[in-house]
Amino acid sequence: MIRRIVYVLAVPLAAITVWWFASAGSVDFYFPPLQTILEAFAARWGAEGLVRDVLPSVSRLLIGYLTAAVVGIALGTFVGLFRPARDLLAWVLEFFRAVPSPVTVPILILFFGIGDVMKIVVIIAACVWPILLNTEKGVRSTDEVLGDTSRVFGITGVARVRHYVLPGASPFIFAGLRQGLSFAVVVMVISELFAATNGIGFAVIQAQRTFDIPKMWAGIILIGLLGVVLATVFRFIERRQLRWYRGARDAERSA
Amino acid sequence: MLDIIRLKKIYEGRERSVEAIRDISLSLTDGEFACLVGPSGCGKTTLVKIVSGLLSPTEGEVVLHGDRVTSPPPDMAVVFQEYGRSLFPWMSVSDNVALPLKQKGLSKARIADLVENSLDSVGLSDARSAFPWQLSGGMQQRVAIARAIAYEPRLLLMDEPFAAVDAHTREDLEDLVYGLWRNLGITTLFVTHDIDEAVYLGQRVIVLSSSPTYVRRDIVIDLPTERSQLHTRSSPRFAELRSAVYAEIHPVAAE
Repeated sequence: MIRRIVYVLAVPLAAITVWWFASAGSVDFYFPPLQTILEAFAARWGAEGLVRDVLPSVSRLLIGYLTAAVVGIALGTFVGLFRPARDLLAWVLEFFRAVPSPVTVPILILFFGIGDVMKIVVIIAACVWPILLNTEKGVRSTDEVLGDTSRVFGITGVARVRHYVLPGASPFIFAGLRQGLSFAVVVMVISELFAATNGIGFAVIQAQRTFDIPKMWAGIILIGLLGVVLATVFRFIERRQLRWYRGARDAERSA
Repeated sequence: MLDIIRLKKIYEGRERSVEAIRDISLSLTDGEFACLVGPSGCGKTTLVKIVSGLLSPTEGEVVLHGDRVTSPPPDMAVVFQEYGRSLFPWMSVSDNVALPLKQKGLSKARIADLVENSLDSVGLSDARSAFPWQLSGGMQQRVAIARAIAYEPRLLLMDEPFAAVDAHTREDLEDLVYGLWRNLGITTLFVTHDIDEAVYLGQRVIVLSSSPTYVRRDIVIDLPTERSQLHTRSSPRFAELRSAVYAEIHPVAAE
């Protein structure tokens, strides 16, 4: 256990140490010493900064991501279960999937203005795709014998989706949710680079415009830290939900 | 109580059609334990699927207690060969046994009762909160059997349930099933490719031909009702019956 903690912390600590000493005497405008950056971090991202920018950003992120999860899983299940739906929607889905959602921001501004709703829609439009596609794949890969068993014992309709389809597809669904989370963080930042009045992305772009380079770096570090925190929380939830899957897979491997 | 009337099944492929079952007719009376034996690939599983309502026949019909079987009826339970794929891996043993009962809409108290009794009668009371992947193959099949009898079916279909377990476990499970039948009196149709098993367990052995399948012979097993692996299998009458069945399946070799 201690060994694992050491392994996890080793590379980040080493990188920070190297960065600190390599940049210590730097006079380059664009690569200030790490110490300066961390001072700017403490100044910018204190309690006030967290409430003013981090809170709205993370709120938009979570609302967008969770909505995308519900929509993605629902649509993915529907398309996975019904062949006609799959055939009807295949090309349409591929078409919309190919367009990166930040590129559609000017169009979305026309419909939703420049407020929170627009940013949330951009996030949803980006991260719904991996969730939808992985859910569809998972739904289509459920075990046939288990499906027959369900039918024999009268587990049909909604109960079938609830007890057989969704749990069976859940390893795939979690893979899609993980990918969607990465997209969500990226698109959240991008959505705040233009037409924003608060947020982490907004803080970074504002620092760039005012040539406050240490604050820019501080913002970038914050985004990275946010990604790490979200990934850790996600992994924790996933491990709990998929405990049966790991157990069954390990049992199969050792058999 | 079960009538299989002139069943015929042809699988239509793109280039060719396969006549899996040519003509099968047989009847089971209430409380009977009948075994179905046949060479590999003779459509035994197809027959099980049709009788259980998972598949529809090309011609002929299956009648259970006067009602035609067109989809899985609520008073029939099936134990499949692939026990690993027939239990829900994301549920505990007791949840697996309880799920079909919940679907039936029974009261919580009744469900708890049935689950406890059925797990007790297969010797798995201690495994109530275990997950399928934590159990051995024999134990998993016991869970499947417990689930089937907790369902309180009028007909129990077993599709080569012990083909995938080792010989020692198979003997234990054979005695378990036989004991359960003597206690509960559920009409049982036991499908197997193992001639010894069929003669050991059945009151009747129905011998199927190889594909395209029809009923070759219906042999009454007049062994005593008290059966044991050691004594019954070494009795002269057992050997005679076994030879009779063998002769039907391998007519050339028996000469």
